[in-house]
Amino acid sequence: CHCSDHIFDVITSPQVLPRFCSTQETPKDPPAAPSPYQERPWEYLESEEYRATYGDRPVWHGYRRNHKGSVPPQSPRKACLRRGRRVGNPCPICRDRNLLVDFRNVKLLDQFICPHSGVIFHPIHTGICMKQHKRLSQAIAQAQDHGKPQTPNFNHSQPCWASPKPFNLPFPGLLWLQVPFVPVPEEDFSNQHAAVGKTPPAPALREPGQAWYPWYEWQQPPAAEVARMRRLYRGFLKEDYPDTPPSPSGK
Amino acid sequence: MTGLDLHKVFRPEKKGLKPPHYKLMTEAQLEEATRKAIEEAKTKLIMPPVLNEREPIDDVLAEDKILEGTETAKYVFTDLSYSIPHRERFIVVREPNGVLRKATWEERDRMIQIFFPKEGRRVIPPTLFKDEKLGTVFQQDRHEDVLNMCIAQFEPDSPDYIRVHHRTYEDIEKHGKYDLLRSTRHFGGMVWYLLSRKKADGLLIDMINRDLLDDATSLITLYHMLHPECQSAKEAKEQKLEGVDLIKVFVKTESQREGYIQLALQAYEEAMATSSAS
Repeated sequence: CHCSDHIFDVITSPQVLPRFCSTQETPKDPPAAPSPYQERPWEYLESEEYRATYGDRPVWHGYRRNHKGSVPPQSPRKACLRRGRRVGNPCPICRDRNLLVDFRNVKLLDQFICPHSGVIFHPIHTGICMKQHKRLSQAIAQAQDHGKPQTPNFNHSQPCWASPKPFNLPFPGLLWLQVPFVPVPEEDFSNQHAAVGKTPPAPALREPGQAWYPWYEWQQPPAAEVARMRRLYRGFLKEDYPDTPPSPSGK
Repeated sequence: MTGLDLHKVFRPEKKGLKPPHYKLMTEAQLEEATRKAIEEAKTKLIMPPVLNEREPIDDVLAEDKILEGTETAKYVFTDLSYSIPHRERFIVVREPNGVLRKATWEERDRMIQIFFPKEGRRVIPPTLFKDEKLGTVFQQDRHEDVLNMCIAQFEPDSPDYIRVHHRTYEDIEKHGKYDLLRSTRHFGGMVWYLLSRKKADGLLIDMINRDLLDDATSLITLYHMLHPECQSAKEAKEQKLEGVDLIKVFVKTESQREGYIQLALQAYEEAMATSSAS
């Protein structure tokens, strides 16, 4: 079969049964080899093996959860990697190690957005696990924030405001997010009000070099206060204790 | 000159799939509906204001040296009374060194967005308004979307708004994509920018190629109103020219791309001649 090995990395070593005593750890899967498209994840979606595996359809097409009964589970799986071991039937993104959720591979992110309403598909609909769905939403928000470009085969023949066709969008760019029509603000733009213009300086500062508050500088206390203090501490004050402090120029 | 293409103004937005809605109308009802649609389109096509950059605010209200060293962070005090316009709202900042100053324009915008959020505006502007990212967006021909987002995000007199708009207009003029903005509310701003910098040639050629002679004459009249001291304006006033003659005078005296405009005019006249003959 032409599905290459990257899809289901089968563990070739014999399965070790998990032991339940606390001294031994549960055996984890051997660490997966890093994908060759680690640096440039968008190249994988142009490559031959992607085309052979998925064709024209989205990545999540045809994926089904395994469950008992006729009704599938109405909540998505939490994660496809439980304690280091991969679950059977991993979700469409976790099962292919070359599909990396990154804000730069616009084509992959586009497959998880509804082409009609611009809303991200619910993870039950696409079948991906909650962890990947969270990373996917963050990547989509980041890509929309950056205004990511689409891939080089840009179709110039259609005007940019023609309605798109599903999944064969002439330019699979990510910014089909709805730009709200904000009416032009009708306010006074002259900026004359004191809140945004200049206020006249405080009356205390009419002359330059003056302090903001009069009590920042030394003020002569009232004579009654001076006399009171002298009477209180008369046993301790020197005889020639001055009324005003020495001027700062002396320091 | 903006043009009123109803199909473009009311183009389908992405809202969700609903089955199509059909209405049976008489001629009178159809005319009534078209008239209403035209009025609604006119409100959507109101040009946003073109303003100069705002003066930065640097006003110190108080300097309390006594507070120096007591705090480690700035405090921002915002007046949250509901019924004041945002431009009259007092927003002051107390620095850790005791200075009480008025908040700068960027701080004001951030605070007002936090307390009185406006639809479509984010507290921190999206990265796509940075210069390097704007180029990628222009490659996708999304100038109109960028300008709409800019109006939603920034105030009309902020430096970012003016910078983004100038970059967009320059990119449009470089590649000649004037039709992208026709029948949108940004067309007027673009025409103003180009005419104030005397770069009207590309737009003129585009208009003549699309057989919009009336628009071309109004463009030249606006140019004369903006630059009344130029030669073609004086000649036009003396001789009271109209229509194609006005364009020819402009081409002879003011334009840089004379050859192209002459060619376009010739092609237009030939087309007119053949269509009137047949």
